[in-house]
Amino acid sequence: MTTTTITVFPGSGRSRKPRHSTMIVLLSLLLCWQLPQAVAADAAAEMTPMEQDQVQRGSLLLHLASGGVSLDAPMLKTDVKMDVSGMLARVSVHQRFHNISSEWAEGIYVFPLPEDAAVDRMRLRIGERIIEGEIKEKAEARRTYEKAKREGKKASLLRQERPNIFTTAVANIAPGEEVVVEIEYQQNLHYDQERFSIRFPLVVAPRYIPGTPKQSDEIKGFQGSGWAKDTDQVPDASRITPPVLDPAHGKINQVSIQVNLNAGFPLARLESSYHPMDTTQDEQGVHHMTLREGQVPADRDFELTWVPAANNAPQAAMFRENWDDADYSLMMVMPPAKANADAGRIAREVIYVIDTSGSMHGASIDQARAALLLALKRLQPGDRFNVIQFNSNTSALFRGAVQVTPNNIHKAMNYVAGLYAEGGTEMLSALRLALRDDASEGMLRQVVFLTDGSVGNEEKLFNTIQQQLGSSRLFTVGIGSAPNSFFMTRAAQFGRGTFTYIGKVDEVKQKMAELFSKLESPMLTDITIELADGIKADLRPQRIPDLYLGEPLLVALRTEQKPTQMQIKGVLDGKPWSRSIEMEGGADSPGVHLLWARRTIADLMDERARGKPESEVRTAVLDIALTHKLVSKYTSLVAVDKTPVRPMDKDLKQKNIPTNLPKGWSSNQVFGSLPQSATPAPLHLLLGLLGILAGWLARKFEWLLDLLPRRATGS
Amino acid sequence: MANKASRKRIMAIVSASCFLFGVWQLGEGAWLEAKAWLAQQLLQQAWSETLDGSQQVRPWPWADTWPVARMQVKRLQVDQIVLADASGRSMAFGPGHVVGTGQLGSGGNSAISGHRDTHFRFLKQLQTGDRMDLTLKDGKVHGYQVIDASIHHKDETWLLQDTSDEGLTLITCYPFNAIVPGGPMRYVVRAKKVAF
Repeated sequence: MTTTTITVFPGSGRSRKPRHSTMIVLLSLLLCWQLPQAVAADAAAEMTPMEQDQVQRGSLLLHLASGGVSLDAPMLKTDVKMDVSGMLARVSVHQRFHNISSEWAEGIYVFPLPEDAAVDRMRLRIGERIIEGEIKEKAEARRTYEKAKREGKKASLLRQERPNIFTTAVANIAPGEEVVVEIEYQQNLHYDQERFSIRFPLVVAPRYIPGTPKQSDEIKGFQGSGWAKDTDQVPDASRITPPVLDPAHGKINQVSIQVNLNAGFPLARLESSYHPMDTTQDEQGVHHMTLREGQVPADRDFELTWVPAANNAPQAAMFRENWDDADYSLMMVMPPAKANADAGRIAREVIYVIDTSGSMHGASIDQARAALLLALKRLQPGDRFNVIQFNSNTSALFRGAVQVTPNNIHKAMNYVAGLYAEGGTEMLSALRLALRDDASEGMLRQVVFLTDGSVGNEEKLFNTIQQQLGSSRLFTVGIGSAPNSFFMTRAAQFGRGTFTYIGKVDEVKQKMAELFSKLESPMLTDITIELADGIKADLRPQRIPDLYLGEPLLVALRTEQKPTQMQIKGVLDGKPWSRSIEMEGGADSPGVHLLWARRTIADLMDERARGKPESEVRTAVLDIALTHKLVSKYTSLVAVDKTPVRPMDKDLKQKNIPTNLPKGWSSNQVFGSLPQSATPAPLHLLLGLLGILAGWLARKFEWLLDLLPRRATGS
Repeated sequence: MANKASRKRIMAIVSASCFLFGVWQLGEGAWLEAKAWLAQQLLQQAWSETLDGSQQVRPWPWADTWPVARMQVKRLQVDQIVLADASGRSMAFGPGHVVGTGQLGSGGNSAISGHRDTHFRFLKQLQTGDRMDLTLKDGKVHGYQVIDASIHHKDETWLLQDTSDEGLTLITCYPFNAIVPGGPMRYVVRAKKVAF
């Protein structure tokens, strides 16, 4: 076992130390404590192993919270531009890799994108030249890239690690040079509670990796460069855990964001949830927005929301495109707001599950606690409930769900107020416990799951939800500055519930109120769609989710002919409901086929979580992804320059670009340290004795004061 | 001379407030020590209930932790109840099992952490070869022998990692006499399992 210690203390910490040691010496003298021992110990604490020999002059050494150091990693800047029109957004992300070292570098950057982004374009820009990326099967793309890398050619590779985690690799960046990787994707907006929103994640939060590490001699060539080892439960852990900068260094990876928003209707409200923005509106009614601060560090999700002015909320919308001899359309339909507001309230059994792992420490646990306290207050007599918390272990407040009584609620409130976040994120056992029981007779059973979703074993969790859901419904509440959106949305989908995000304490009240209204209102279920005139449609998602209050029906269709009419059927509040939609007109929008293809891939990947053999899924995904040129689990984009630029006598150094710790996170709670185990009792006792001593001295030597003024007037 | 009188008054106030501050701080310090001692008494009671088969016996109604083991070092007359977690709040009352390390007595490396100025003050007196006994909830007694004591930085989390040998890792803050809490060094005692 080697004992490399990476000291991660800021300069300010060191400058404070001398004062401590002076004080310790002084106090020890005063109270005749074992002086030599105390001083020796303090000297030991001052020892800070530095790797000076590794550090060349003028190079950039960064300590990492995830362990080790990062030396001369390329500086990264990201420019994001979003063009929003109707329900669709086209987003371009320019990543500028600036090689600050004196060696040829390969830059590797692990970054997030929205979980439903249809990534169809990657270009490598070298000065004025642009090299267009090509879609290839994943292994083939990697071979193409590695070959170019060896031959000294500039090349870039964009691969998907998770639907919301991607890796860019850029080979052969000359010393001092900047190259730009331009990524583009298509996305549809989120529409809920008459509010549109678009999210852009900026940092991959450190994930908890369950399971036991694999032996290092296994397939080492494919290991990524992350801080986690591949495990039996997360075989690609090393690819989704980019190095994390020690927060003491400040923040890196600056991002600029520009949004052009063509909503298509007047707005009652437009706001950026976490980043202040400057907005101007042009004559066509398009809003142009930029970050007020120009650039911000990539350390938390960006979210833009807007609300249509009264009576302008769309009830139905259609976007269509003819691509490659087929007709693609995206349909949005609002179900009726409420069938009957006074319909008898159904008693509920609500299981609250709260993540108290180390990643929740700080701002996140405050948000989760506040949300949970609100939820407890909302319960009615006749309901049943329980509270489950999990970190490395799972524990429940009550053995099973209990009646809502003032006493039980009081107990739960105390329990929740005392929750403390530390340890691992063993989510599986918590899910199992929450889904173990079925609903009591005549009750709705709802599991409300509050977490940041910072885990690496998503697929296993989805599989568990899918198998054990029974009659329960699972609602995810994404907490914190950088929740795992892939986990939140897909877990809710498998759990036949819905998801909510809470990014700051101010949002708790509103977001939870929206969630309560969904939990307590009837929903539209068993939805089916048919087209008139016998036109066959490939409809995505294939299984249409239940719709909760305020949620629209959103489907993508592929048809051979132009569809004319659509019949939607479902069950609303226990009664059959149907609606027919004329599919006339509709805005012609490029990129609709990408949304259909992306949803098709998502459907196929869900089949995998449901147990379909990987080989079948892979073939089907490859077919869609290669046709529509989309990055997926099985396809990557690769761009290669023609002429070699790196002299063959110069080496290429692989450099991983560190990421920030998400805003509000505590690195100690995530990457661990030995427990802090001293009480301030000795300090209190000493200060106490000192205080009394000082009081006594002040009394005793009061006469000294008489001497002072004379001397003062004398001079 | 009015000047002198007012100065005298100021000195009296300074002296009195120093004195009050002193008493307050002494009280705070004494309270922490008393809490650590008192809690162990209540915990012994909760422990005997645990041995009788109850799960997660909370030593007092509002406690958010519970006893999981009894730790004894006969040579030093140490007899303490180990709590289920090593959060700051639990450790005010007793040493705690570090969550995520091996289950006590079930193989692998289990870590227990305690405050250097209360429960785990005895760590500095432990010597190589010392015998420790750990009684678990099922009443079974596991014996351990101290093999090593060393000083580490708090970032050295490898100390918590699982090992193939069954053992205990006892952790407390170092130096024992440091006045200000929160220092970066830890005193770590390793003990290996021995047969009776």
